[in-house]
Amino acid sequence: MKKKILVIEDNPMVVKSLEFKLLKEGYDVAIAMDGRSAMQQLEATNFDLILTDLMLPFISGSQLIEHIKKNHPNIPIIVLSTATQEDIITDAFNMGVDDFITKPFSPNELALRVKRSIGSFKNQLSHK
Amino acid sequence: MVSPIYLKMNLASDIHELPPILEINLVLTIVFFVFTLLLISLILYLRVHKNIANRRKEKLDLLLIDFINNYLFNEEFNKVKEMAVFKKRQLKTSLDKRVAISQILVFAENLKGESSAVIQEIFLGLGLYHFLISDLKKNAWFKKAKALFVFYQLNIKIPMSLVEPSINSSRNELRQQAFLYLLHSSTENPLGFLDKINTPLTLWEQIYIKNALKSYKGNTPDFSRWIDHKFPSVAIFCMKMIADYDQFEHIPLLLKLLNHENPEIRQQAILSLRDMEISETLEVLLEVLIDNFPNENIVLKQEILKTIGKIGLEKHLQAVAPFINKEDGILKVELQRLDRYFNPKSSKIENTNYTNNLQSDTINMSHGT
Repeated sequence: MKKKILVIEDNPMVVKSLEFKLLKEGYDVAIAMDGRSAMQQLEATNFDLILTDLMLPFISGSQLIEHIKKNHPNIPIIVLSTATQEDIITDAFNMGVDDFITKPFSPNELALRVKRSIGSFKNQLSHK
Repeated sequence: MVSPIYLKMNLASDIHELPPILEINLVLTIVFFVFTLLLISLILYLRVHKNIANRRKEKLDLLLIDFINNYLFNEEFNKVKEMAVFKKRQLKTSLDKRVAISQILVFAENLKGESSAVIQEIFLGLGLYHFLISDLKKNAWFKKAKALFVFYQLNIKIPMSLVEPSINSSRNELRQQAFLYLLHSSTENPLGFLDKINTPLTLWEQIYIKNALKSYKGNTPDFSRWIDHKFPSVAIFCMKMIADYDQFEHIPLLLKLLNHENPEIRQQAILSLRDMEISETLEVLLEVLIDNFPNENIVLKQEILKTIGKIGLEKHLQAVAPFINKEDGILKVELQRLDRYFNPKSSKIENTNYTNNLQSDTINMSHGT
């Protein structure tokens, strides 16, 4: 069964590229262009991974991560952001994100990290 | 039936029969009416034209995103054939080409690694290189500036003969883009353009160059090369960079500049040396600053006081205190602040003009109340 990934990103070009690359890698991809739509999709569907930007309309990425960690603690999160400041990256890891990718990003590297995060999540579940 | 020519003649003869003032009024009314109609038509035309262009842009943006993604990630995509078809069908006008360039820049901004080379390939394959080269040969400064911006963003080399004339353009924006192109495309001498400039560096240019240097992948330039530049703005910029990049080997040069004839250069020498905080040269620095203090202007005196506060001792403050006049309010405040800093419990500066002046001020104030 295909793994489901929720991509939360407001830049149409990045959304399309991520969708294209992840579909090619064999995942099911759902798109949310803002935090509000992401929250609705999270209530309706079970995802295997979340790929999110930090700067989003309506609800910021940080608020969204807090919400996901509270309500769906088992879903791994990868942050994809332009932020390169150490404190922002540290804050994201402190909130419990699994990985942090800075833009510009390499699509191949991203695909590898997605695979690794989903793999480690599967391992964690099988150990439990 | 009455012919229109007859009516026209009749109308013309009727107007001529009117009193002159009414005739002028009528003619002006007709002229303004026609002018208003033309103006409204022009506004409507521009509006419709803009809407059509926006719709075309939106449509082309989607096509481009799809095309570029296929080119980047779809292994079954026939790149050569699809490139030729896309170029022929979609990039017909100058607007189409500009939209394509903007979209390619968005991709270049967000993707790196193996994708960067493919994005360059798409740019060249769509014939956009020649389109921008022709822009660089035109007179419009904004087209040249945009072209240079695109070339350095995509890391594409172009003939130097097309860039060098822009180094001394009368437009700041174009000059700035030329500097950034030269900096990004250089492998050994990113600031070589400073030897060719005929106008001072603006503050914005300095900020952009400083930011561009942060992402420069080659060796950091030796900033002392331009420390004696004919433009003080270039020398000042290089002195800032010497401190930012910790080029400690140039401290003797900076110390010499403390006695430069230009007060702006002296000021930057103080700032750079203060930021570098090298213990071996602190005493020499403070000695020169204290010697120069009586003859400096108020801005430089302030900087000297700040330097004493940051790297000096109380004895240095006492050495300059007698040279602060009663009228120099800012300096008096700075002196008092430093005095408190060195002696948190009580002021120790004694037998100076400053304390005498301060005391007399206090007496006057108490008399006044």
